Parts: sequence; C-alpha cells; structure tokens
Amino acid sequence: MSFDLSLIVESVPMMLAGIGITLKLLVVSGLLGLMLAICLLLMRISGKWYLNIPAQIYIYIFRGTPILVQIFIIYYGLPQFDAIRESIFWPILREPTGCAILALTLNTGAYVSEILRGGVLGVGKGLMEAGSALGLSSRQKFIYITAPIATRLALPAYSNDVISLLKSTALASTITIADMTGIARTIVADTYAPYEIYMSLAVIYMIFTFGIQKLFGAIERYLGRYTKREG
Amino acid sequence: MDALIGWWDDYFWGAVIVGKVFLCSLSLMITFGLLGAMAKLSNSRIAQNLAGIYTVVFRGTPPILIILLFYFGSAITLTAIAQIIDPEIKFVDVPPFWAGTIAIAVLVGSYATETFRGAFLGVNPGSIEAARALGMSNLQTFIYVRIPEMWRLALPPFGNHMLSLIKDTALISIIGLNETMFVAKQAITVTGQPFTMYIVVGAIYLGFSTVVTVVVMGVEKFGERTTVGAL
Repeated sequence: MSFDLSLIVESVPMMLAGIGITLKLLVVSGLLGLMLAICLLLMRISGKWYLNIPAQIYIYIFRGTPILVQIFIIYYGLPQFDAIRESIFWPILREPTGCAILALTLNTGAYVSEILRGGVLGVGKGLMEAGSALGLSSRQKFIYITAPIATRLALPAYSNDVISLLKSTALASTITIADMTGIARTIVADTYAPYEIYMSLAVIYMIFTFGIQKLFGAIERYLGRYTKREG
Repeated sequence: MDALIGWWDDYFWGAVIVGKVFLCSLSLMITFGLLGAMAKLSNSRIAQNLAGIYTVVFRGTPPILIILLFYFGSAITLTAIAQIIDPEIKFVDVPPFWAGTIAIAVLVGSYATETFRGAFLGVNPGSIEAARALGMSNLQTFIYVRIPEMWRLALPPFGNHMLSLIKDTALISIIGLNETMFVAKQAITVTGQPFTMYIVVGAIYLGFSTVVTVVVMGVEKFGERTTVGAL
C-alpha cells in the first residue's frame, strides 16, 4: 500500500471536470426546491385543512425515506408505467440528470418548507399585532412583516440544508451521472486507489461546503444590517 | 401487487439487516459523539483540534463518499497488513456490514459531537456547583448530574441524528449489503417491476422513521416527567 501523490495531481483535474454537473444539480434543484418549499409553507400556514394535510403528508413521506430510495423510484421506477413513457414529461424523466434534479427538488422542498415554517413561527406576536393596528390586511402582514423577518430567522438553518443538498448531489453518481463523485468512482474502478481519489474529492467537497458557508454568512450579515447585535 | 408474492420474506430479512445496522451504528455513534464532545470540552489543545478536524471533515463530505472510502480503503489497508503477516494472502474481504456501519456511525457521530457539546454546555452551572458542595467527585458529577441533565437537552436534535442514521443505511446497499435496497434490485431482475419494488423499500424506511420518531417523542415525555412546571 502506498500513497501516490502523482495520481492525485493527475485525477483532481479529471474530477473537477464534473464540477459543472454538481453545480447544476445543486443550483437547479436548490432553486426549484425553494419554490416548492414556499408553496408547501403557504399550504401549511393557510389554515385550511384541505391544503394543510396534503402538505403535511408530503413532508412526512419525503423526510421519512432515504433520498437514495427516492432517486431510484423516480429513475428506475417511473418508466414501469406506459402512461409516463408516453407523457410529455418523458424527455425529462428519460435522462438521469432530469430524474436526479426532480428527486433532489422534491426532497429538499420538504426539508426547506419545515425550515421556513420555523422562521415564520419565530416572528414575534407583537409585530403582527402592530401590523393589525396599522390596518394591514393579512396578506400585507405576510409580505411586509412575516416574510422579511422569517427569511432572516430561517437563513442559518437554510444554509445547512443547502450544504446537505450539495452532499446529496453525490448520490446522482448511483444513476450513471458523471458528477464529481461519479468520475471519482470510475477512476477508483480503474486504478484501485481509493485513498488518494476519495480523500482528494472529500477535500474538494469541503472547500465547496466552506464556500457555501461563507456565502450565506455574507447574506446573513447583509440581511441583518439593521439589527443590532445583542450580547 | 401480485409481483410481490414470494418477496415478502426477503424484504423482511432485508429490514432485519437495516435494524441491525441501525442498532450497531447507533451505539457506535453515541460513543463517537460523546468522545468528540468530551474532546472539544477538554482543556487539551490537541484533543480540541483533533475533534475540530473530525467534525469539519465528516460534516463537509457526502455520506456516499465516506462509505466508499471506508469500504475500499479498509479493504486495501487490511490486505496490506495481512500481507505483512502472511505474503500468501491475495486479498482481504471486508464485510460491507461493518464497513458501512462504522462509516455511518463515524459520520453521524460528527453531528452528535456538536449536539452533545451544546447539551453539556447547557447544563446548569448551579447544579454542578451543588454537586461539588456535596463533595461529589468529577466522575460522580458526570454520571449523576451532567449526563441526566444533558440528555434531555440533546434529545430533540439527537432524534434527528437517529433519523439520518436510519436513512443512511440505504446507502450501504451501494457497497453490496443485502438489505432492502438490495432485495429490491434482485426482485426487479426477476419481476421487472422497479416501481413496486422500490415503493416497498420506501414504505419500510417510512415505517422505521415513524417508529424512531414515536420512540423519541415518548422518551422526551419521559424525560420531562419531573421537570413539568419547573424552569
């Protein structure tokens, strides 16, 4: 057993070639997931049982099962039905990338909606009362009071979820996508040098994670620029 | 649904393996978490730094990467060690069960480290002073005061760690553990019904997460039985 440095030098650029796919999975499913999460949040806080209960069931199912199972159900499972193979969604569902984005979106949406709900519940009662006293409608209160404060409150937890989404994108390699992990697995299959390859890939992911943390730290500081830091 | 006839027992034994992995990795995860938390809270700089590296590394890398690294890495390391003892040995086979169990335990243990650390810091200093005043030794304080107070604080996030542990067991199928995902793969090659087979896997995991959630809620109630009205 030896630790081959030249192999690392050789393979890191190869793995970095997959960074575009990893980024695409992260950004596209992150944005779509956020939209889904906002829809689910609105359903949950609507106060109508026929909106609240379906949203709750959705969140329960998607948070209670492994993301790998969700990816496999969508990629391997859905083509079992002729109706899906003939539908207009087939061009997306035929591609592994489309399936991975769909699975990651559905999954992260469930988690993020709970994070956003935590933010909404954290908004002070007094502020809402102040809004009512000023004669704001409930929609105005949501847009001008709840949403900005909830965003600020939910941001730290949201950044953690973006990081776990980044880590979930690595699972795309299980459905033949050549993201960074997929490329690494191919290299390991050829060279049989798991330490060199996987550890350097781990470092790449850590740098990625660090970057996301810094980015969200900056956003947090920007959004919190009017709030005084309390002891 | 007819396709499922004859596969239920395979799924049952797959689920038993999921349960086994869960229980083994749970006890290891608690151990790693406690060790990590104690290292972070210790006065030794070296221990603090080691624990810091541990949490940064394992919280920043995708779980699948860690499982692959543990499995393939331990295989070549053990082979190298075995060859020193007996040069005749060509290859040491590492059981995926243990490689996977240890990998997810170490991984989730890094999250538990932070949870336990926070919970230990949340222990009321007055209680510790009271224990000192009663002449308790450090070990006694730890067992009778710190642990009973900290586990109640740690429980809600710890419940989430248990859920991620149960969901991470699905990833061990990638390195060939014959759990439910693996059963589904076999069943699909025979029946050609991927959707049905993976939905069953999803349902099994949903059952596991539900049980964990209910148990955690019960334990939380139990932990609060003497603190109701306090604070």
